[in-house]
Amino acid sequence: MLEVEDLSAGYLGDDVVHDITFSVADKAAVTIIGSNGAGKTTLFRAVCGLLPKTAGRVMLDGVDISGLSAHRIARAGLAYVPSGRHLFPQMTVSENLALGAFPKRPDPETMAVVLELFPRLAERKSQPAGTMSGGEQQMLAVGRALISKPKVLVLDEPTTGLAPKLAADAYAALAILQAQGLTLLIAEQQVPLALSLADYGYVLENGRVQLEGSAEELENDPEVRRAYLGIA
Amino acid sequence: MTDRLPQAGSAAMRAARRRDPMSLLQNYWPIILTALALALVPLRYGDSRATMGIAVAGVLFATYAVAFNIIFGSTGQLFLCVGALAGVGAFSSAILADRAGLPLLLSMVLATLLSSALGAVFSWLVVRRSLDTIFTGILTLTLSLSFANLILGQRNWTGGETGLVVDAGSETVLGSQIPPYYVMLGLLVIFLVIYRLLQQSHLGWAFRALRDDEVAAELAGVNVARYRIYAGAIGSAMLGMAGAVWAHSEGFIGPSTFAFGSVDVRVIVMLAFGGIGTLLGPVLGAVVFTVVDEFLVSFSQLREALYGGVIIVLFLGFKQGVMFEVRRIAIKLRRRPGQAAPRAQGSRT
Amino acid sequence: MTAVFLDGIVLGLQFGLLGVGLTLVYGLGGILNLAHGSMAVVGAIVVANSMAAGASVLLAVAAGLLAVGALGLLLDGTLMRAVYRLHGESRVLLSLLLTLGVAFVIDGLLVWRYPIGGLGIHIGGDPIEILGVRMRTGSLLASAISIGAGAILVAFFRLSTAGRAVRSVIQDEIGARLCGINPAAVRSLIFGLSGMLAALVAITRSMTAPITTTAGIDFTILALIVTVVGGLGSVAGAFLAGIILGIVNTVSSFYIGTYITTIMLLAAAGLTILLRPSGLLGRRA
Repeated sequence: MLEVEDLSAGYLGDDVVHDITFSVADKAAVTIIGSNGAGKTTLFRAVCGLLPKTAGRVMLDGVDISGLSAHRIARAGLAYVPSGRHLFPQMTVSENLALGAFPKRPDPETMAVVLELFPRLAERKSQPAGTMSGGEQQMLAVGRALISKPKVLVLDEPTTGLAPKLAADAYAALAILQAQGLTLLIAEQQVPLALSLADYGYVLENGRVQLEGSAEELENDPEVRRAYLGIA
Repeated sequence: MTDRLPQAGSAAMRAARRRDPMSLLQNYWPIILTALALALVPLRYGDSRATMGIAVAGVLFATYAVAFNIIFGSTGQLFLCVGALAGVGAFSSAILADRAGLPLLLSMVLATLLSSALGAVFSWLVVRRSLDTIFTGILTLTLSLSFANLILGQRNWTGGETGLVVDAGSETVLGSQIPPYYVMLGLLVIFLVIYRLLQQSHLGWAFRALRDDEVAAELAGVNVARYRIYAGAIGSAMLGMAGAVWAHSEGFIGPSTFAFGSVDVRVIVMLAFGGIGTLLGPVLGAVVFTVVDEFLVSFSQLREALYGGVIIVLFLGFKQGVMFEVRRIAIKLRRRPGQAAPRAQGSRT
Repeated sequence: MTAVFLDGIVLGLQFGLLGVGLTLVYGLGGILNLAHGSMAVVGAIVVANSMAAGASVLLAVAAGLLAVGALGLLLDGTLMRAVYRLHGESRVLLSLLLTLGVAFVIDGLLVWRYPIGGLGIHIGGDPIEILGVRMRTGSLLASAISIGAGAILVAFFRLSTAGRAVRSVIQDEIGARLCGINPAAVRSLIFGLSGMLAALVAITRSMTAPITTTAGIDFTILALIVTVVGGLGSVAGAFLAGIILGIVNTVSSFYIGTYITTIMLLAAAGLTILLRPSGLLGRRA
């Protein structure tokens, strides 16, 4: 569904990520793990059109989206939930969700599904997004991305700033979505959570892919265990 | 901590200058040359009252531009009330001399102090409320427009729409045909010298630091607030003085004399053309646009439109001004082949 | 007294319409369009000329609005390109200076074309005779148009998808892009729309009293005051500020005088900047 080949990107002429190749199969859940500064956010921004690439190609469902601007990529079916969320603070929950479907009006069925998945949002439909807590904002950001019925849902560290219980809830919701057939790409620092959901994973370090494998393979890999799972 | 570093620098500079009179000449030769060149104008045009009037106006605008160069060029405060500040000087001097009967010189001095105080207050407000360029601009614009309306409204004092005839000064040297030109020119030279002195003093160092990076300057110990207010006060004093001299030499001031459209817009264009932050930029701009204006008189009806066109072309292309381009070329020519270009960080004379 | 008050509200709505365009353009792209008022006058002139050529009021107004919309899009596509390449304060400064130049070009051309110290555009005015009745119809029509336009605008921004898309770009541009909204297209659209709204005000004003060809700068200043007081980037703020200032204007003109009134409006903007720079409903600190 999503294929990235030899992608390099960075800021002010210096590349942060180099020659990244990975793919996300249809209906699969893939995770990119790595510590702070590894380049996960830069990679995602480049894939989703918010950052220009210096090299490489991105294919979505067989279509080359490499040169497209962010809004076109969004309309092509790649829904990105950045770690900064970027909600519309003075608009209500409903209005934020509705805009997810732009340029169309939201499909009532999809809206119902999203509100069922996140009951807290249903309770706060008329509340301005800017007044909600971090966890609720995260839910809203994901909900807004889902309204567009995307082909791929891309999440950058969705558990940032969330208490462990809320983080677990978030992943439970993602699991439900995956079961319903949604393709997922998640960048995550919290490796155990990520590996519990993902089918396949890539380890990003210093801007390069160091390791890849199925979730089980990564869980059992001694390097991964030492560096990310804290197991000697 | 604040003044130690820059003062040390300027003390050394001052010491160096004292040892070497030639460097004094080196520092001021542009001003001397310009003054001499401009002094020749009446020799050619002195017989026409109309032309001399235009010439005086041209030099007047040069003084305005130097003042604006200090306020905006040095400390980035977008004072869109240049005309109004000059107008304050002009009208107060006229009223003090004609109505209150004060001696001419005293009136002019008081008027200058009034403008200076106003400018200092404006700067203080900008600093106190941390206003950015746009808000400073809009605020001073409202003050400028308020001043214009005040002039129109207070008919008893200012003559309202018909304007004010200024008697004081007409019996002095200011009333004749050629001397006002030299008085104004003298003023310009003094202002240019002050500009030069400021540039090379610790004040100028602070101004440059402030303009390049305000936060860094603050951290380096530059008291941003104080220097902004100094710049505002000095520049406004110049404006008030120039306005007062103009009032007494012209003998007539009206609501359009100091309006935003008549003064501020032209000063901005002149300075931008000549080069913000340069010594002679204001003079160059004033001379060029005074001449251009005369050309446009023949197209009087299209004048405003042509002016707009000039503004658009100027700001799309020439953003740094002519003097800057000239210096850049001069530096390129002076540099020996093989020398790398220095990292210019807004280093303008 | 009530009549003065009501007049103030109607005038206030027009002030709001005048300010809305300017504040939107600033909120969306960080651009200050000083040619705002001049464009408005162009609209009124097109309407007057169309009517003189025999077109009906409706057709003429449509022509006027379309002309200004096109002019706005033209400006946005040409001069503003240079402005969009900059960011932050340099962008505002350059936009201010370039649009000032444009204002001069437009005003200058108008003065050259209609040199009689300003052409009085009087739309829908039968000259002298039934002046009393005539004028009342004119101002009723103007009020109706202002109120209608205001209501449509509010509905547009609150309820329609396109309107929400515009608000989203102001509130979080990256978020908007992630939702598939193209900020550049929104900016261009709103630039054209803002000119049309201002033109509507000029046209309705000229239905009640003649406006001169040099009225452009006055309109721009008025729009600027409303924008500042209401809060840069806030649509609701522009209308709120407009109505308040409209009432202040009519009451003050009636009881005190024109020059003081103008100073009061200017002072409102100045005080807003000094005391509460975010304006009545704006978001900036």
